[in-house]
Amino acid sequence: MSRSLVIVLGALALGAVVFAGSYYASQRACVAGMARSADDLSWLRDEFHLSDAEMARIRQLHEGYLPQCAKMCALLAAKKAEVQAALVNGTNVTAETQKELTELGELRAQCQGQMLRHFIAVSQAMPPEQGRRYLDEMQRLTLGFHEEIEQSMTPAAGHEHHQP
Amino acid sequence: MKISAAPNPMNKENPNPGDARLGALLRASRPSPSLPPRFQEGVWRRIEDAAAPVKPESWLDTLAVLALRPRFAFATVAALVLAGVLLGAYDGTRVARQDAQARYLAAVAPNPLR
Repeated sequence: MSRSLVIVLGALALGAVVFAGSYYASQRACVAGMARSADDLSWLRDEFHLSDAEMARIRQLHEGYLPQCAKMCALLAAKKAEVQAALVNGTNVTAETQKELTELGELRAQCQGQMLRHFIAVSQAMPPEQGRRYLDEMQRLTLGFHEEIEQSMTPAAGHEHHQP
Repeated sequence: MKISAAPNPMNKENPNPGDARLGALLRASRPSPSLPPRFQEGVWRRIEDAAAPVKPESWLDTLAVLALRPRFAFATVAALVLAGVLLGAYDGTRVARQDAQARYLAAVAPNPLR
């Protein structure tokens, strides 16, 4: 290997190490610095440029919503456990299993309704433009997942139910 | 007490006139060979070549010569550090924002609700 090649490769390796080191150190410092001062609602403040008064109102709504959310989550978890238990030993869907599934769906719908009402209340505590953006974003992040699945199951997406 | 110095054989002012004759005789007995043609010109060319900076032969040599220049090396390192810090800060801000969003979502919309 020629001397020039060794020098160039060494310089490139050194440059890569210097760049990667400074990139990694800066990124970690930035993430750690921002995480230290963050709480559950800091994303709202930064993303939607909210004032202290708006944040105080939203914090109040948030703290009122959390116990309701926790209660519904506990109910959902219990219902899911019941459905799982009904499905464990069964080889077909019984009337009892179907009933459990229906109740699980209803409970999930109630939870989602409660969640959407909370999002609407929070959006109304924001300036109108930011509120609309918040509501769109939260619907996309929470209900968008189901929409994607449903869209992927439509005939247009290539998913068709063939008759036997 | 003054001590007289021993006679120096390297002394140029030789008082003995016989030595001068001897020197001339010795020079005559060793005839110097004639120089090759254009000897002086060749000597000057070699001196100039040695004094001139080395011209790199390929792009790799050019890069190597450039990398070994301290000013270029320091400037490159400084630029890489600056680029790394700026890009890292930008990416760190993006990652921190995503983390904060995930944290809020986990609080208001736990996975079973989504």
